[in-house]
Amino acid sequence: MNTNMAVCIAVIAKENYPLYIRSVPTQNELKFHYTVHTSLDVVEEKISAVGKALGDQRELYLGLLYPTEDYKMFRKLHNSFTDVMCNPFHNPGDTIQSKAFDGIVSGMMVQTA
Amino acid sequence: MAQCVQSVQEFVQDSFVPMVAVLCSEEAERVTRKNNLNFAELLRPFCRLTSEGHIRDPSNQLQVVKNLRICVNNLVTSPTTTSTSLSPAQRQLLSDVVSSCQPQESAVTNVVMAGDYELNFSVTTPWFEAYRENFLQSMPASDHEFLNHYLACLLVVSSTEAVPVEQFLKLSQEQHRIQHSGEYTNPKWFIPNTLKYYVLLHDMCEGDEQRADVVYEDMKQKYGSQGCYLLKMNSRTFSANVDEQIPDPWSQYLHKNNLHNQVNIANSSTCTGCFKYSCNNYSLEGHPLQLDSSMANLHNLSAVHTDLKKGAKDSNSPACAAGSHGACLTLNDHDYIRQFIQEFTFRGLLPHIEKTIRQLNDQLVSRKGLSRSLFTATKKWFGGGKAPEKSISEPKSTCGLLYPPEAPELQIRKMADLCLLVQHYDLAYSCYHTAKKDFLSDQAMLYAAGALEMAAVSAFLQGGASRPYPAHYMDTAIQTYRDVCKNMVLAERCALLSAEILKSQGKYSEAATLLIKMTSEDSDLRSALLLEQAAHCFINMRNPMVRKFAFHMILSGHRFSKAGQRRHALRCYCQAMQVYKERGWSLAEDHINFTIGRQSFTLRQPEEAVTAFRQILINDSRQTAKQQGAFLREYLYVYKSVLGGNEVSLPQLPLPCIHSSATRVYFGHERRLAEGEKQAATHVSLDQEFDQDLSAMWCHLEEQLVASANGGVVPVNFQPTQCCLNSQTDNLRHPLAVVEEPIIVEVTFRNPLKVSLALSSLSLLWRFTVDGSSSSKEMTEETITNEETSAVGVGNMNKYALRNCDLFSPFRNHMDFLLFTDQQTLDLMVRGKQDLNILGPRLNLTKEDKMSVRHGPDRRLNPIITAPMPLMEVFFLQFPTALLCGEIRKAYVEFCNVSGVALCGLRVVSTHAAFFTFGSQATTPLSPTSAENCSPYKTVATPLQRASEATESLVSADDFRQPSGVIEIPIDGSILQPGQSTQLPLWLRGPDQEGVHEINFLFYYESAEKGLKISHRVLRHTVFICASRSLSIQASACRSSVPPHHCLDEKGSSGTLVFIDVENINTNEGGVREFHIVQVSSSSQHWRLHKYINPNKDKECKLGSRERAKLCFRAIFSEHEFHSSESQGSVPTENRSSDLTDIAKECSELDLNIIVIWKAYVVEDNKQLILEGQLHVALQTIGKEATSLTAKEVPQEMVLLKFKSDLPPPVILPSAEFCQLIKTNLHYPETCTHPFVQESLCLVPVTLTLSNCSLAQVDVIIDLRHKSSSPESLEVHSSFAWVGQSQYKLQLKPKEVLCLTLQACFLQAGVYNLNTPRVFAKPSEQSIMCETSQQTATPALIVISNA
Repeated sequence: MNTNMAVCIAVIAKENYPLYIRSVPTQNELKFHYTVHTSLDVVEEKISAVGKALGDQRELYLGLLYPTEDYKMFRKLHNSFTDVMCNPFHNPGDTIQSKAFDGIVSGMMVQTA
Repeated sequence: MAQCVQSVQEFVQDSFVPMVAVLCSEEAERVTRKNNLNFAELLRPFCRLTSEGHIRDPSNQLQVVKNLRICVNNLVTSPTTTSTSLSPAQRQLLSDVVSSCQPQESAVTNVVMAGDYELNFSVTTPWFEAYRENFLQSMPASDHEFLNHYLACLLVVSSTEAVPVEQFLKLSQEQHRIQHSGEYTNPKWFIPNTLKYYVLLHDMCEGDEQRADVVYEDMKQKYGSQGCYLLKMNSRTFSANVDEQIPDPWSQYLHKNNLHNQVNIANSSTCTGCFKYSCNNYSLEGHPLQLDSSMANLHNLSAVHTDLKKGAKDSNSPACAAGSHGACLTLNDHDYIRQFIQEFTFRGLLPHIEKTIRQLNDQLVSRKGLSRSLFTATKKWFGGGKAPEKSISEPKSTCGLLYPPEAPELQIRKMADLCLLVQHYDLAYSCYHTAKKDFLSDQAMLYAAGALEMAAVSAFLQGGASRPYPAHYMDTAIQTYRDVCKNMVLAERCALLSAEILKSQGKYSEAATLLIKMTSEDSDLRSALLLEQAAHCFINMRNPMVRKFAFHMILSGHRFSKAGQRRHALRCYCQAMQVYKERGWSLAEDHINFTIGRQSFTLRQPEEAVTAFRQILINDSRQTAKQQGAFLREYLYVYKSVLGGNEVSLPQLPLPCIHSSATRVYFGHERRLAEGEKQAATHVSLDQEFDQDLSAMWCHLEEQLVASANGGVVPVNFQPTQCCLNSQTDNLRHPLAVVEEPIIVEVTFRNPLKVSLALSSLSLLWRFTVDGSSSSKEMTEETITNEETSAVGVGNMNKYALRNCDLFSPFRNHMDFLLFTDQQTLDLMVRGKQDLNILGPRLNLTKEDKMSVRHGPDRRLNPIITAPMPLMEVFFLQFPTALLCGEIRKAYVEFCNVSGVALCGLRVVSTHAAFFTFGSQATTPLSPTSAENCSPYKTVATPLQRASEATESLVSADDFRQPSGVIEIPIDGSILQPGQSTQLPLWLRGPDQEGVHEINFLFYYESAEKGLKISHRVLRHTVFICASRSLSIQASACRSSVPPHHCLDEKGSSGTLVFIDVENINTNEGGVREFHIVQVSSSSQHWRLHKYINPNKDKECKLGSRERAKLCFRAIFSEHEFHSSESQGSVPTENRSSDLTDIAKECSELDLNIIVIWKAYVVEDNKQLILEGQLHVALQTIGKEATSLTAKEVPQEMVLLKFKSDLPPPVILPSAEFCQLIKTNLHYPETCTHPFVQESLCLVPVTLTLSNCSLAQVDVIIDLRHKSSSPESLEVHSSFAWVGQSQYKLQLKPKEVLCLTLQACFLQAGVYNLNTPRVFAKPSEQSIMCETSQQTATPALIVISNA
């Protein structure tokens, strides 16, 4: 049984465009895109709240947007994302096209049938 | 939530106003109809009171009533009871209201900046307000609240009535019957004894005013002056007042109703049930939904109805002409009406309310003895309460118990409602609060929710800081309405109020949550509107939530489209698009675009639809192939419908993508490959890829040509000719195209989709501008495509060359190209065009360039058409592809002038200047066909000589002179007339290096006319020649040792021996049989071959495969040149020492070119061919070997970095020049027979001749001793000894020849090398005693035989 069960994982640039987005039930892709995009408002809200409270103390994990997320998952994803960013051939701001990252994400996704 | 026109207070207050019913007599109705209005409508614009009223509350406090509005409605009875949802008719009405209220095109839109988003949308939503207003007004009256129950009834009778008082009585009875007979549950009445107000309507134009006054006096007697009124109106006639401008206050209240009617009328033909709605023209406030079953008060309904129907059929009927309300009313009449309302409200209505409140209060006070809780407690204890029984007996009560209308619990609510209506909010709140507690304890949920709602409302309206607004009351009320009572209408009303109030308090987030909660499946329209308001809430938050705004806009748009509100749906999607656009959310973007496209199309805005669909196709789509196919099909369908029959102006097609920078433009005809056996010059074609090096090479060649044509100077404005322009060529200038010559444009397409596209009938559009005049024409040139229909496959890159033919005007023109394509997918085919706009290279010079993205111009597609130019074609005949190295072959070249202009100045340049030369027509008049075996060499008859003697022929130096690589082509008259062609023989010589050679020719010609825009034209030709090995010739020269005075046939003192090694290195053994050396010549200014020294004389030199031959010649210094050499001897002696080195160098210099002419016998296809050729060897220095094969250049390897210092330079050896100061020569008998038996020692005299070649005095040392270290010393027995003086020291004067007689002693028979004396020499003036060996290596053999 896979404990990591995400249905959609997205990495969004700070300019609000998706660097990477993938969802498992492909027939509902559009819905997930809309959801992810809309949830950015919540993220933004949280970021501004964090910024006020903690100053420059950088805690990248914003906490639970909704109580369905797993911290470990975030850390894993973030590490992989850092790897992608460290790639000297990666142009920051480009969409992520990394097999390794893809693999990590796939591992976190729901195994369908 | 969007901004509203009304303030919140106003809105909430206006939501709850006193209701007044109207009962009209037929006659009164007729009077008001003159104004195209009924009585209630007539009053409506004046229902807001401008002056303040006063009311005394139960505690006798004076309460001010400000800005009161009353609602006057015609009394309409309907059997429908309270319902928990809207009837279909109501829904229809609301839907019509919403759809009729669209944002104006010119409506002010606000720009909202949120983060990096810039949103442009209207902050007001009038459709929502219209919906809300209509919704609140169409609220069915319910039993649990009294707010929209009628408080009073106006009984209207006309003064023209026969007996008005009777009419009043009749109407009064009618009202009583409606209220008390129990026949009708609707309308509902506030209290049993409704206020009746008697209005006598007097038409000033018709009736007798005095009579009216009399009747009015009568009425005052009967009903009291507070209960009746005389309203005079219609002061003017309809026709008389057309030109007068009287404001029409009705229009803003009635136009919506009219609209509804028109909608309904339009619908009535299809929907039989709909016709009844038309009566709402006469029932006020848009209540068409209360269908009347009773005709009692609307006798005229059917008449009016038919009237309306007529109106619907005949739209010219004045009754239906909008905007003609109140035509018979003057401004004074308006004032009368206003006074009437004021009188009615202040004298009739407010005192009535005041009285009622007082009564209710008294009732409540009388019961105050018992506390409320005790009261309910007793009720429970004794079980005597009727309420619980009711709740059991009434099965339809879904939300707790229902009270009977006169239940005491309801009295307090009634009082609260009254207080609210007259703006006594403080009292209202406390009453609601009390009522709420009662209802809750009774578990009467509907009542409790109502009380909660109104408590919140009154608390809000109370304002000030006296009581905080209880938002949770509203939430509870909404929840109760929705979940417990299942009454969505009430829940919606409550939500609308609550949201508006929350909005006014800045609680946008809460308002949004509330509104979103209210969306449900039962009403798409409501959900759409509320979602839209929620979206507005998100954007209005302190930190605007742009994405939530967008998302809810999309949801709203979706619901709007489900509700059939296409325009609103489109607007919502468009607003949301602003957030999603160009931010990488391609799936969402595609979805929105697709919806926008669909909606626009159904709304008959196909242009917008096309734009939206276009976006989907242009963007790099992440959709599946199937989806893309669907999008494409939809797009094509819409596109086609947009086009319709209009094919004049073609719209832009989004597909396929044109790689405009990859566009190549070719000027000129497509080259002919070959014409019979003629082979055309390759020139430039589109098949060739651009090569930077090649183009630089061609440019360099062209420069040479232009320089030669302009007397050796390249003009300043020289620009290399560019035939084929692409992204790498210099496109800054306008290219020059010649009139009547085609221009070929190659376009590269890419299909970004996963489905294939079929393209057909591609053609090129162009625009032609005549210089000087601004007229421009757009023309289509029917063009040729390679294929009829070509499918651009998935993700493929296809290239098409499009031909654009024959430009006719010889003026300067500009052309812009457009691509014109047909697109076809399955059955759908559309026509469109795509612009070819080429961006130039990105600029990177100035700071501005670097900071921003700027592109330079690219004028590839903007050629200037110039006057006719000559056009030459070059053909080659019998041009070989393979040659032996050095082979001489004849080919023919033909120059054709295919244009209408004479050409001249024909020149050619090549990368391999030695490869070819032109023969003139005169010297070789043979036609190519007869030249089968013609030799390139002329056979000259020479007088028979000794074979060893060489013939001499002097060739003038002019024949060899070639100033540069440029050759002027010798054509007759040097002008080629139009249509003329000329053929010249071309001599080719195989390159010396074996292998494949690329040889480039560049032909140059210019027009016979001067001063044209194009100064010259060029034609390129590239050939590949495969050179195979033939002979290898190695030649070396060495000094003849013969001293000058020994020479027999003296011609000069000096002679050189030339040794030529000829080797057949041909590898093709089957092909080439043998080589014959036919002739060896020297080509030199100083030297000539003098004598052929060959052991086996008179034999022709033949070389089979891999054979080698050695030829030996003596070359002598030619005579006249010798003189000049002698003149050198008079060089002053002072200079001698200084340029001694030079002199010595000069001595060894040799400028001798050896030409070896050979014949090769080749068998090819069982036919013997004789090939002829010549090889050249350039002898530069004596002693150095030269070969015909220039040593293959070993590519210089990269020099590795060295960190160690180089080795110290080797000890300087005496320079080689001094080695040959002295020429030595041994003279001795070749053979010597000596009887060793008789005499053991054989002495042979040997003469050593020393000749000083130099012009300096030389000291010479001759040492005869054998070198001790020499390896020969081991074989002492085989050696010989010099006898006599073993060392000589001599001094030789310049050019002196000295003979020394030596004696050699041999011990036994054998062959000996006599060349052992070591000769050292040094110029005597040289101070250094370094003497150099003057040894010559050549052995001097002597044969000693035993006798």
